[in-house]
Amino acid sequence: MSEIVIEARGLKRYYHRGSETVKALDGVDVSIRAGEIVAILGPSGSGKTTLINLLSCLDAPTGGELFVGGRSVAGLSEEQLVEVRRGVIGFVFQQFALLPTLTVTENVELPLMFLERKVDSRRTLEILDRVGLRDRASHLPRELSGGQMQRVAIARALMADPKILVADEPTGNLDSATGQSIIELFQRLVREQGLAIILTTHNSAFGYEADRVITLQDGKIVSEESTGKNASRTTGASPHLQASTGGPDCAPPAHPQNSCSAELVCDVPGANAGQEYR
Amino acid sequence: MNKTIFGRYMMLAVKNLRRRPVRTGLTVAGVGLAVTVAVSLGGFMLGYSSAIDKSINMLGFQVMIMAKGCPYEAATMMLKGGTGLLYLPADTYDKVRGDAEIDTITPIFVGVAQKQGSSIRDDGGGNNFSIISGIDVPSYRVMKPWINFKKGPGYEGGRWFAAEARDEVVLGFEAAEYEQRKVGDTFYASITPAGKTDAVMHEFKVAGVLDRTGTQDDGTVFMPIDVAREYFGRPDQLTILGIKLKQFNGFKMREFEARWLKLPEVQVVGLQQVKNTLVNLVATAQTMVAAVAAIAVIVALIGVINTILMSVYERTSEIGIMKALGARRGSIFQLIWLETVMVCLAGGLTGSAAAIVGSGLVERAIKSLADLGLSGSVVRITPGVVGYAVMGAVVLGFFGGLYPAWRASSMRPVDAINRGA
Repeated sequence: MSEIVIEARGLKRYYHRGSETVKALDGVDVSIRAGEIVAILGPSGSGKTTLINLLSCLDAPTGGELFVGGRSVAGLSEEQLVEVRRGVIGFVFQQFALLPTLTVTENVELPLMFLERKVDSRRTLEILDRVGLRDRASHLPRELSGGQMQRVAIARALMADPKILVADEPTGNLDSATGQSIIELFQRLVREQGLAIILTTHNSAFGYEADRVITLQDGKIVSEESTGKNASRTTGASPHLQASTGGPDCAPPAHPQNSCSAELVCDVPGANAGQEYR
Repeated sequence: MNKTIFGRYMMLAVKNLRRRPVRTGLTVAGVGLAVTVAVSLGGFMLGYSSAIDKSINMLGFQVMIMAKGCPYEAATMMLKGGTGLLYLPADTYDKVRGDAEIDTITPIFVGVAQKQGSSIRDDGGGNNFSIISGIDVPSYRVMKPWINFKKGPGYEGGRWFAAEARDEVVLGFEAAEYEQRKVGDTFYASITPAGKTDAVMHEFKVAGVLDRTGTQDDGTVFMPIDVAREYFGRPDQLTILGIKLKQFNGFKMREFEARWLKLPEVQVVGLQQVKNTLVNLVATAQTMVAAVAAIAVIVALIGVINTILMSVYERTSEIGIMKALGARRGSIFQLIWLETVMVCLAGGLTGSAAAIVGSGLVERAIKSLADLGLSGSVVRITPGVVGYAVMGAVVLGFFGGLYPAWRASSMRPVDAINRGA
């Protein structure tokens, strides 16, 4: 069983809007293990982004406990949260968030500047190779397609050698075929590098390509399902992925509902067992 | 390694600024304009001050005794050579020359002569008159040992006139050039004696032409003092007494001044006093220009802050992303601060370059607006002036960048990402 890299207990995020208290997240328990992909599904306003922001230390919870890499992060200041996520958590955003004046290479190497690490051109090319963009290294973002831009964003996230990859609607701005290729890339990264990947999506077809699917509604988890993909990933086959190429409207196959509801921390069998959290 | 990282911050800052070339260009131009004004003003202050120093040092004496009157007129008269002339009794020379503190003394009589075919204008402008300086050659030469005669074809045998020579003159460098006269040529001047209305034409031989001195002597026509006084109908008058003291300091000067102020119709003007007077002449104008420069700097500073703030707001999402990628508050602060400093540095450099290129124009403009009577350049842009201006622009950037950098670095990443999305 892989090590837990993120664990939340009774996680809350309340906002005050005038005299009203908005419960964006209201007592969520969740654990993320190395070597698994966890998809967070739910309608708009269900708390997906709030949850992912808290799990990735971009935001601080107003209640509950949160451990990242075994360290409690509840009550930490913004500067302390930066230290927790620096070089540990990689981010991929729906809008790609590439700097338009920087080339692909410069965008990918950007985190190293903030982490005060030396640039290793060979490693940059190796990562670009991994996302299939070596030949676009000197291009500007505007010269790339949406899918290519998202791959650059993934390469950028990988550059800091993170243990956790957080992707907020990574396929939201992509057509289904391109979105599917991004999901495949995520699966490969988990298989090859043992990353933990947390992603939010509106597309349940893509969501069910993850190892676990957490469904939120009104700031609470309404279901948590294990898809068994991790086991099948080792064989390289993904029947559902093939089925999902029809686009976001494709209906997901039947899944056992609330398979983990009694036990929030699911065991992840198969690949990447024994990965150490660094 | 740190250098490399700083270099990467620089690269990122430059690329960010190039994203909006027109806006960045206009902001740089704003700073540049302020720096141009500041550099031109600094150059003028320096150039004017050194031009005064040079002009006064080239007078050769430290103290002047002249007729009582406006000290401004006295000061400019000596430098411009002969407007608003006032005269003092010639026996003042005999009274003062015996002072034990005097090292050298020379009497000078200054008058204005009409050139052929022109009419005298007593406003100091135009080229229709010649400034005639009646001098005592032996003491004048001791006072100004650097004066030499021009050499070369047509100028051979240049010499001073004899004390009693009634028909010989020595021309200053520019006077000879303007009149196109060489040694041995004839020079005509119409002089209206005091109290008369009709001018009398005098014919002179050019005994010598002086080398360029860079002073008012270049435009002067010299003749023996007694002859000049006679022709101008003022046989018992002098214009100034130039004096070099054995020991020149504030105390000796005050002592000397106290001794001779007892003479009626006389004022004792020290070199430092002249310098101060001339500096004061333009001090008000300089203060006004400095105020304009200060306003320009403030406007430029506001422009820079505004531009960088706009840029920060436009890039709110990006700043959030950078924080998500691992940027600390300090990293964002450094980046935005660097951008501000770079804008100001670019403004400082372009403004200084514009000031250097335009210094000739400024010089001509100043001289056409106010005839300061100074020889040489009155706008002197030195590396020091440019250095201070560029440094000032960078300091401006340091201060101007504080607020935008603080705003950017204070953004919470989650808010920044959401706001920009």
